[in-house]
Amino acid sequence: MPNVLRADGITVKFGGVTAVNNVSLSLGSGEILGLIGPNGAGKTTLFNAVTGFAPMHSGRITLLDKDITTLPAFKRTRLGFGRTFQTERPFEELTVLENVLVAAFLTAGRRSEAERLAMGVLEQVGLADRAHQPALDLNLARRRRLELAKALAVKPKVIFLDEIMAGLNPPALREMIAFVRSLSAQGLAVLMVEHIMEAIIELSDHVIVLASGEKIAEGTPHQVTSDERVIEAYLGTD
Amino acid sequence: MIKHLIGLGVLLAVGIAYPAIFPNNLTIAISVLLFAGWATSWDLLGGWNGQVSLGHASFVGLGAYFVAIGQSQFGLAPWWTMAMAAAFAAVLGYFWGQLTFSLRGPYFSLSTIAVAEILRLVAINEEWLTGGATGVFIATLPEPFGIDLFSRTAQFYMALAFAAMVIAIVIAISRGRFGYQLRAVREDEDSAMASGIDPTATKLKAFMLSAALTSIGGGIYGIVLAFIEPHVIFALLLSVQIALTAIIGGRGTIWGPAVGALVLVGAGEMFRTTFAEANMLIYGILILVVVLFLPRGIVGELARRHIRRLYAKRAQG
Amino acid sequence: MAGLDILLQNVANGVLMGGVYALIGIGLTLVFGVMRTINFAHGDFVVLGMYSAVLFNALLGWDPYLSLLLAMPIGFFAGVVVERFILSRVVDAPPESALLATLGISLIIGNAILLTFGGEPRSVQVSYASSTFSIAGVNVSMVLLLAGIATVIMIAALYALLNRTEIGRAIRGTAENRLGAELVGIDTRRIHSIVFGLGVMLAVMAGVTLIPLLFATPTNTGAVFTLKAFVVTVLGGLGNVGAAIAGGILLGVVEVLGASYFMSEYREAYGLIAFLLILLFRPEGLFGRTVKRV
Ligand SMILES: Nc1ncnc2c1ncn2[C@@H]1O[C@H](COP(=O)(O)OP(=O)(O)O)[C@@H](O)[C@H]1O
Ligand SMILES: [Mg+2]
Repeated sequence: MPNVLRADGITVKFGGVTAVNNVSLSLGSGEILGLIGPNGAGKTTLFNAVTGFAPMHSGRITLLDKDITTLPAFKRTRLGFGRTFQTERPFEELTVLENVLVAAFLTAGRRSEAERLAMGVLEQVGLADRAHQPALDLNLARRRRLELAKALAVKPKVIFLDEIMAGLNPPALREMIAFVRSLSAQGLAVLMVEHIMEAIIELSDHVIVLASGEKIAEGTPHQVTSDERVIEAYLGTD
Repeated sequence: MIKHLIGLGVLLAVGIAYPAIFPNNLTIAISVLLFAGWATSWDLLGGWNGQVSLGHASFVGLGAYFVAIGQSQFGLAPWWTMAMAAAFAAVLGYFWGQLTFSLRGPYFSLSTIAVAEILRLVAINEEWLTGGATGVFIATLPEPFGIDLFSRTAQFYMALAFAAMVIAIVIAISRGRFGYQLRAVREDEDSAMASGIDPTATKLKAFMLSAALTSIGGGIYGIVLAFIEPHVIFALLLSVQIALTAIIGGRGTIWGPAVGALVLVGAGEMFRTTFAEANMLIYGILILVVVLFLPRGIVGELARRHIRRLYAKRAQG
Repeated sequence: MAGLDILLQNVANGVLMGGVYALIGIGLTLVFGVMRTINFAHGDFVVLGMYSAVLFNALLGWDPYLSLLLAMPIGFFAGVVVERFILSRVVDAPPESALLATLGISLIIGNAILLTFGGEPRSVQVSYASSTFSIAGVNVSMVLLLAGIATVIMIAALYALLNRTEIGRAIRGTAENRLGAELVGIDTRRIHSIVFGLGVMLAVMAGVTLIPLLFATPTNTGAVFTLKAFVVTVLGGLGNVGAAIAGGILLGVVEVLGASYFMSEYREAYGLIAFLLILLFRPEGLFGRTVKRV
């Protein structure tokens, strides 16, 4: 399978603390890569480094064989990255539709075109009926979907999902799992951080386990869940 | 959108008829229109893009000085010098922004005060160019199509054209890509980057446009004053006035700054006899009222309530 | 020889002027350090101090330093009132709101003074206004020296308050981490009121000590002092009381030396340029600990 995304030897340091240490990953189109690990393991930081939101100490990132290591985050978005934020970051003063419009304008030149794209994405995530509501007023589950809609509206090739299922009730969780599967079926490469093992096991083609910034295991969901070190890492902390 | 265009039409219609109806109240109307235009220009950066500048008098001064010096020293007509001032203001805004946009929030505001103060000192001290502390005088002006630019009526129409032009530009921007980029950067720079927006480039564009438009109004102001003194035109107080006009009227709204100009200049006029030169007292009191009770400004709060009502109705029905 | 003498004289003038700047800056930086509010009205409180000296002198014939006895407690009380009724309502609003509120207070103070006292410059005549004495060939102005002594006493008192008392500990705790302070039972609202009161008191005191030296005018002087206070505190590091002293002295020296050795017309600009450079390249200040750029 050809690689869409490759990250080699990613290291991120905050002051003296190494939050991510020499982690590599690669991802093909339509593939779902799960990233798991205890709280504080460095999953979000790894996401931030790859998407350009955290400064890297060392490492190399390529998107479709193009070296993007030194590009600022917005340029990576333009080349095909879409991401959500673990704590949702909608543009609170804008309506739901306007939030997605901002992203849609990346590829759409005209207002009408952007609006069509944005409404399409809102329908996909099931927020179309909320389009004119101020984003500030959404509840948690809908804020998550808005986050997802914003990430999709840039028409990404790779999408980074940071714990979008945390805190959802069982029916909403089922919907979200089905939705992520449909994204990969459309050919998107998906990189997701998730604590909910049910989702990881059902969705991931491949799983990477982080603990204290180190990659301690990787393989199929089945392989990693039976790995001694992984069980220890989870039981050893909190 | 339609609403705003109708608003603009009403402004123009009332404006065109105004000098015939109130021939003796032109000076104050010019004041309202200039402040409406400046505050709306300021708002592109301060409201739509969230970068509160307290140095916009610099651009007013730049426009006024360009027109005055161009006329008195080089015999250049004001429309040429206004265009030059706008270009120069945009360039200045570019470098100013490059320097200061790495700072956020109050630090950015502080830096704008410092830059504006330095410009004021330059205007006072570079006498060979600016006439120093005494200022520059515009003695003659060309008469395009036989129009006397020293007449208050002509100046009123220039101010009207300026205000209407700036508002029209904001209406056009507000619904398009650039308008959403401005707002996205204001709300959350990281989230804007995740949507592919370059925050620095967006802020620079906003600053350049805001600066250029403000300086055009400054050029008209120069003609209205006919005598430009650095401590008047580069005053920190003028910068503060421009910012507060937009904030009190409603930041990031199309009509807020214009409404602010009407309310503030109008109130200043009403209390002129009571407060004499202490009329900035009104700005002080109103900004406190806005901060404490109407954080979105007059028009912002009205619009907010309107949206809520619409939404509540839709939720019921 | 002559060159060295002049340099010494200039440095001495700069340091003394800097002492006054420091006094103006400390109040601003204290308020910022604890409340995270940039007080645009700070300079207007300085001017209020100047006018209080003018008032007590006109009514009671008091020397400015005597009027400190009344002016300082009144200033403290005024600060507490302003904090209670205005600033405390915007602590949790976006940071700009507090900035705008203080801008409003600044306009109200300046214009209220204008309405009360009129626009013409005011001062207080004191017998020692122009007396100087010389130490080792360097002339020292009596007024500046008194202001310098007042600054030193005030700083010592503030230092003792912050480091030796229960309230001081609560203030430092609030500055470090407001939530944490609340968790250990500190009433941070009360601390904010006290700190703003102290800030205004310091401003008023600076104004009183300046009145023998400078004329007071209602609206312009306030903005000038606010700007000076910003420059001082940004030079030293916003929120750092000790560094404000160094920042004040640095500003005094930079201004005097810049004016004597380069272009004197740009005296005011040197401080502003230093201010911009520091904002841009070392926003934590020359003496501050490294902080994250926000
Ligand atoms: N901006 C930052 N500055 C300093 N330390 C940080 C920063 N962001 C994250 N960290 C630290 O890096 C480590 C990894 O955090 P994070 O990536 O959020 O973990 P996870 O997403 O796996 O829970 C934590 O110890 C966290 O405290
Ligand atoms: Mg995380």
